[in-house]
Amino acid sequence: MKKNRHDENGSQGCAHGRRTFLKATAGFMGSTLLGGLPFRAFAQAAEMAPADRCFVFVYFNGGWDQLLAFDPRDPTEFTADRASETKILPGYDQINDSRFESRPLIPAELPGVGRSNIDFGPAVGNELARHYDLMTVVRGINMNTLGHEVGYRYFLTGKMPIGSAARGSSTATEIVGQMKPRVPIASISYNVESYNDRYGGYANALRVSRRDDLILTLKGSTDMLDSEIEKQLLDFRGQPVNCEQAAYGARGLGTTYSNSQEQMRLIQSQGLDKSFDFLVGPNQPHSAEMAAIRTKYNLTSANDVNGERGRAATVATALKKGIAQCVTINLTGGLDTHFGSQLTQANNQRRGFDALAMLVKDLRESGHPAGGTFMDHTTIMVFSEFSRTPLINSSGGRDHHLSNSALLMGAGIKHNFVFGRSGDIGMAPGTFDLRNGASDPNGENILPEHVIATVLASAGLDYSITRVEPLRPILA
Amino acid sequence: MRRLVLTAALLALASGCTKDDAQSTGGIIEPIPNPHQPGDFTPLPDPEVQDGSVGRAPRRLTVAQLDAAIVGAVGQRWSELDSRATSMGRADYALVVSENTEPNLVFAKFLEDGARKVCINQASAEMRMTDASARTMGRLLPEKWDDLTKLTDAEVRAQLVYMSTRFWGSPLSGEELTKWTTFFTQAAARVQTLASSKRHETLAVVCIAMLTDPRFITY
Repeated sequence: MKKNRHDENGSQGCAHGRRTFLKATAGFMGSTLLGGLPFRAFAQAAEMAPADRCFVFVYFNGGWDQLLAFDPRDPTEFTADRASETKILPGYDQINDSRFESRPLIPAELPGVGRSNIDFGPAVGNELARHYDLMTVVRGINMNTLGHEVGYRYFLTGKMPIGSAARGSSTATEIVGQMKPRVPIASISYNVESYNDRYGGYANALRVSRRDDLILTLKGSTDMLDSEIEKQLLDFRGQPVNCEQAAYGARGLGTTYSNSQEQMRLIQSQGLDKSFDFLVGPNQPHSAEMAAIRTKYNLTSANDVNGERGRAATVATALKKGIAQCVTINLTGGLDTHFGSQLTQANNQRRGFDALAMLVKDLRESGHPAGGTFMDHTTIMVFSEFSRTPLINSSGGRDHHLSNSALLMGAGIKHNFVFGRSGDIGMAPGTFDLRNGASDPNGENILPEHVIATVLASAGLDYSITRVEPLRPILA
Repeated sequence: MRRLVLTAALLALASGCTKDDAQSTGGIIEPIPNPHQPGDFTPLPDPEVQDGSVGRAPRRLTVAQLDAAIVGAVGQRWSELDSRATSMGRADYALVVSENTEPNLVFAKFLEDGARKVCINQASAEMRMTDASARTMGRLLPEKWDDLTKLTDAEVRAQLVYMSTRFWGSPLSGEELTKWTTFFTQAAARVQTLASSKRHETLAVVCIAMLTDPRFITY
């Protein structure tokens, strides 16, 4: 008994509006002409398409060593003998694993693209580096913090947190808030925080901590009635609404709820949860599709599926199936290596970069319904909360360092390009003329908000929330 | 002396009464000032600009309200609600500082899950209760549910009016009650063809439909 009846009209006295009439007509026409498929479900089926512009935010948890990633140094120049002078020790010779080069990686030249303008740290590996033709690397970013949560939230929102509390919305929220995509789940945050400070609930990310959470949202209920009664329920719900229902549905709420229910039924009817059932056995309708994904991402066990490669496959599936427009994902971790060897950091980074390479390769090979490949419609930003000190500490690890780097890939971004640089002494964040990227002692630091503004501007979105101008030389 | 004082007091009182009478007969009534000034209150929105609706727009229940409403309507708590509360909009005041009451896809999905869970469980439990007064939803149903198709039209209607009042605070009537009656009767007829373990599904399906109706989640 939670509310009182105020609607005095009753269903009898209500004049059915044009919308109700159209709904009823559409329901009748739909059930007549489309073999019983509810009309609205049919209409929405046409909308179940990938977003024209997709975004992936990839987080490397713990603070990466950028000497191993996107800001390498030549070990023949930055030697141990000169370390007291340069305050930089690449330490590539301490990795002692044949999978990692002992010097910065220059990928082989791609035909028609020209040689790579980007050199990569040994942890990046050839698999990702060969996609240099889609990349821009931003170096010398000043994080202004050495705290994990602060740096992480700074890069998520493009705003310096207050203390460690995030300010503003996540960039993914800002994007879906502005673009209002028609995909079922506009934004997915996979093991990453998400903030919304100025948009409606439609822009909220679905936060999942693992793939199973996403599947739970997409799959049908486990508590089912008899199939004929289920059909009766479906038909009953498809009937035209009466006046009282319309009154509660007035001014958006009921319409939104009704659309959400339709979307839910559509998603469930399409069995989208099965799209993430990567380890399905043979003799299932989607076995072949899953086998192809397993091969593409080298998934052989539940550990693989829940690991970096499985996460990359989840991102690709969410975008390609038109389930989400933005995915923010904690791809890999274990990077906060204050102790131990360079190999631990390199290994953990490599797992993430290899998975990212698989994702990029998949998106490059997959055609987008609007033309071109998915990479032509997708912008990827790869970041970590800060970097690690250019010198190795007495415990064999590296501590937190201010200067950072980031990788941007795909749509709206200039390709095969490096913007900014860190200093040759202690890898200090530099000052630049941000209009052209040239070093300028009287210039400005590159900050995370510049990178976020650039991502927003790359899609023609309003970036005024960042209160800075984008890095225009990066924009395609 | 005493007599003099009493006389003076009577005269004083008499003169006071005479003065009041003179004022009222003069027809001057001081209006009571309006205690509300512009800016003291928010006027109702103009119905013209909101499709003729008067008053505020409907709101979705918060997760806490939903929890209590399910218990009140169905008679048992949805035990999985807490684990899904964040996705359904509950603020944790750490990362999310405001309750999200958008009836979005995730809310619709999880409410459907919850409705099925509690309605099927409760209907199944109530079917075994021979004391109708101990039931929450099926209070007007017979002691034994061997065959709900035997209920008269009036009995079905009474049950549906009771349930709709319980779920929405708004009894079904008119054409809509007829629609729900047909829905109930169809389900009851189908259930008769099923195993006896499925007898509770008539009540369960009506409960699911009412719990996922916009009238349940709005106020």
